Amino acid sequence: MTDASTTAQTVPAPAAAAPSSSAGRAAPGPARGTAVRPRGPRLRARVGAVLKHAGLIAFGFVMLYPLLWMVASSFKPNALIFREPGLIPTEIDLTNYTDGWNALLHPFSHYLVNSALVVLGSLLGNLVSCSMAAYAFARLEFRGRRLWFAIMLMSIMLPIHVVIVPQYVLFSQLEWINTFLPLIVPKLLATDAFFIFLMVQFFRGIPRELDEAATLDGANHLRIYLQIMLPLSVPALATTAIFTFIWTWNDFFSQLIFLTRPEMYTVPIALRTFVDATGESSWGSLFAMSIVSLVPVFIAFLFGQKYLVKGIATTGIK
Amino acid sequence: MSVIQALSRTRQEVSPRRKGDGRWALFFLAPWFVGLVLVTAGPMGASLYLSFTDYDLLSPPEWVGLDNFTRMFADPRFLSSLGVTFTYVLVSVPLQLAAALGLALLLDKGLRGLALYRSVYYLPSLLGGSVAIAILWRQIFGADGLVNQVLGLFGVSGHGWVSHPDYALGTLMALNVWTFGAPMVIFLAGLRQIPQMYYEAAAIDGAGRWRQFRSITLPLLTPIVFFNLVLQLIEAFQSFTRAFVVSGGNGGPSDSTLLYTLYLYLKGFGSLDMGYASAMAWFLLLIIGGMTVVNFLASKYWVFYDD
Amino acid sequence: MSITGTARSPRRGRTRAVPAAGVAALALTLAACGGGDSGLGGGGDVAPPEAQDCPCEIRFAWWGSDTRHESTQQIIDAFEAENPDITVVPDFTDWDGYWDKLATSVAAGDTPDVITQEERYISDYATKNVLADMSELEIDTTKVDDAVLAGGQIDGAQYGIPTGINAYAMVADPEIFADAGVELPDDESWTWEDYVSTANAVAKGAGDGVWGTQDYGFNEAGLNVMARQRGEALFTPEGELGVSEETVADFFQVSLDLMAGGGQPDASRTVEYQAAGPEGGLLGTNQGAMGVWWTNQLGALSESSGHELELLRLPGESEGERTGMYYKPAMFYSVSADTEYPQAAAKFVDFLLNSQEAAEIMLTDRGLPANTEVREAILDDLSPTDQKVADFMADIEDEIVDTPPVPPHGSAELADIMERLNTDVLFERVTPEEAAAQFVQEVEAATAG
Repeated sequence: MTDASTTAQTVPAPAAAAPSSSAGRAAPGPARGTAVRPRGPRLRARVGAVLKHAGLIAFGFVMLYPLLWMVASSFKPNALIFREPGLIPTEIDLTNYTDGWNALLHPFSHYLVNSALVVLGSLLGNLVSCSMAAYAFARLEFRGRRLWFAIMLMSIMLPIHVVIVPQYVLFSQLEWINTFLPLIVPKLLATDAFFIFLMVQFFRGIPRELDEAATLDGANHLRIYLQIMLPLSVPALATTAIFTFIWTWNDFFSQLIFLTRPEMYTVPIALRTFVDATGESSWGSLFAMSIVSLVPVFIAFLFGQKYLVKGIATTGIK
Repeated sequence: MSVIQALSRTRQEVSPRRKGDGRWALFFLAPWFVGLVLVTAGPMGASLYLSFTDYDLLSPPEWVGLDNFTRMFADPRFLSSLGVTFTYVLVSVPLQLAAALGLALLLDKGLRGLALYRSVYYLPSLLGGSVAIAILWRQIFGADGLVNQVLGLFGVSGHGWVSHPDYALGTLMALNVWTFGAPMVIFLAGLRQIPQMYYEAAAIDGAGRWRQFRSITLPLLTPIVFFNLVLQLIEAFQSFTRAFVVSGGNGGPSDSTLLYTLYLYLKGFGSLDMGYASAMAWFLLLIIGGMTVVNFLASKYWVFYDD
Repeated sequence: MSITGTARSPRRGRTRAVPAAGVAALALTLAACGGGDSGLGGGGDVAPPEAQDCPCEIRFAWWGSDTRHESTQQIIDAFEAENPDITVVPDFTDWDGYWDKLATSVAAGDTPDVITQEERYISDYATKNVLADMSELEIDTTKVDDAVLAGGQIDGAQYGIPTGINAYAMVADPEIFADAGVELPDDESWTWEDYVSTANAVAKGAGDGVWGTQDYGFNEAGLNVMARQRGEALFTPEGELGVSEETVADFFQVSLDLMAGGGQPDASRTVEYQAAGPEGGLLGTNQGAMGVWWTNQLGALSESSGHELELLRLPGESEGERTGMYYKPAMFYSVSADTEYPQAAAKFVDFLLNSQEAAEIMLTDRGLPANTEVREAILDDLSPTDQKVADFMADIEDEIVDTPPVPPHGSAELADIMERLNTDVLFERVTPEEAAAQFVQEVEAATAG
């Protein structure tokens, strides 16, 4: 981040601008302060804020309901989950957690670790390879750019169900079945076009004047990419990281197909094994372990969303 | 020169074009290109080939020419799934994007506890394709579910929404709108990418908040709006997991939630008719591709890039 | 060029060089352009390999939930203790995932050595030569009832050996009958009309929010029983549809009569309860007095209802020309046609089927054991619910005429067709007669290929 600031500070501002400060951002009011009458609006603003919060909280409950319900269900004895589907359990039972944790061949932590490994590999892959490709599409002139871009987009338009079988054949040729490689290596090779496109859009939003000034200073594309684009795209990188984390963590189908041995199973596969459509299911354990597996993603989101707001606005760039 | 004028500069005024970035392009695109050749192209090509074959996964495919495609248009379930999918996409995508954009603007700045709200609003999107969603959705939209209990307070007696052929798709769309977290996060990130100097300069120029929104926020956010629109459309056309989970895997009741990809999956893996499923997939690619091209063409008129 | 020919299982042939990456991608692409042999095959398109001697490793695939995974691992451990030169690799998932994964691995020539099968798919796999004829393997099937064993035979070849048996039966909740002031029906003499009137009476007597029965129309097994009572059958041994339109229409009509008489809930509630599985259905939530279920689901039903449930014969057993109930193979053990270790696979299946030790661990998890000798031996170890199932199965044994033939290739679609048409009937979008005509047409189309 400091690199970015120093590079960027050499850049002439394209238009007259006051020095940026986060205080100015939060209160645009004073700028037109002359017209403001003293008391009335402030009271109105406060009432407005209270109403806004009330609305947001009420809406928040609607959004929160599923989680509350799942937490409630995870404390109900198996037999009561369907008989008493309400939010408040009449009996509290912790055995779902202890049973669920140990119900499968390995303790549940084993599957959490496996999922974490897949997620970490995918994170690294998507952040590096997709941002590189995005830089090329956003900032470089080369032949067939539009065509390659179209091909890139096309690759996310086919449902996975028809490419998974050929993929399986391919990975089984490579002897990668039942390893994490089929799940991670494609990410290292920027096959997740969603994120390329996402970053292209963000990169294009960064004023060109910045890299032009850097070019005048003798920076090459690698430096522009590393010292201007990446630091200025923290929100985009954070978005990529958050989504990669959550989607990989929840992805069921490819993990199901490519991982065949129980010791390699990840959380989504483990969760499915609590439920059997043809016989007895452990609903209580399913809910309990679903809650457990939500904790890491929720923490990842809480942590990651801080970076969503670290845009140009807060990195000291004018 | 005022910022607003600066922003409305046309693209021609933008700096002279660089030439000869070919080598750099090769460098930056190298991982993607290797991935395209090794991981993406082969399976895509294979599925294209399979779309012209009769392939049951258990024995080698047999070339049948355009047979799968002609069968498709004589298949009433295929046609009905096409209708269901278009309804789903055209209703739920705009609603979802509107909800996401509205809340992103609301949750961008200037309120206490924003981080908490953001996280809470994202929660439903964390649940993914969990089996729990199916049970939860029945609990909310069932005949004795939450919605009907609330309606009952007002003396209205509802019926089972999630299990009624006329309303089940509506609950599925509600589920999609409800998980607006992903586009919301992208909008939030986009809002933070707008250089603060523009607002400050605009404020000096005396622009009010509404004018700032119209002249700065909205134009500078259009690339992100465009991104969300394109991607949500692509994704909505391929919606699978939620319909699969909520309908118990068969697109019921009475095929009312039989989304395109769900039918494709049932054909490919349920009926072991992978040739037909591949043909469906490539037809879907044509639809989505066409839609995306139209989107890109139209974007010239409303998407603003600062380059 | 066939990838299938070379791409056996990943754990075999470690010697091949890794740069095959490009070759594989190229092969796929070439195949895609060239037509002809695509490189995507199936287990069935290559000649079985030479049988190899052990020490060896075989893969056993099954579906189920956590309890089954745990007990199956114990059985594998017991088998490995007896056969130190054979390693059994477990490969399990839930029901839906199982079939996706199995089809994919067969397509890539990576078929598990021992496969769990079910009647919906066994024809598909058998007719495409994925499964071995197990009568040629060294597996002792003498303790399995011939009629039951026949449930895994297609054209005289034994493609699957039943793991155990279930029956499709009426489950009743005596407490709700008592609350409603209605007597439990005499299941040896009751007719389909009695069923409707009993359910309607319970609903009247029990009051709001409690119904007589849960709709039975989503499951083709009920139709099969009704057809058999009339001397028809869902499928003939030749693999053709054997049920008349009239019977199908009558079958759907029962549901409409129940709905009209209040014996079962309205259409949308019915669809909801159907989707909720045994635990969330009417019996499981104490909201209904009856429901038709497979006998192996009695455990799940009893646990979630908290009541002591009873098993009854289906209605109409004494009404028609013959009885219609039957033993259904719960699932099958099958062996891959191109396993490198057929002897080891056979040894393992033999252990699953005949070993006392395995039976004591498995109990009724894969149906009431098909091997009648081990079935007798474990009776005392069973839970009260499972004992009830065992008693019921023994009671109806003499009345059962035969086991239905394996449903034909393509019958996997039957469940979806049934579910869709029944919903249409319940919501009165079509009449039972129209639904019956559509049923015949769709099933014939599905099983024609």
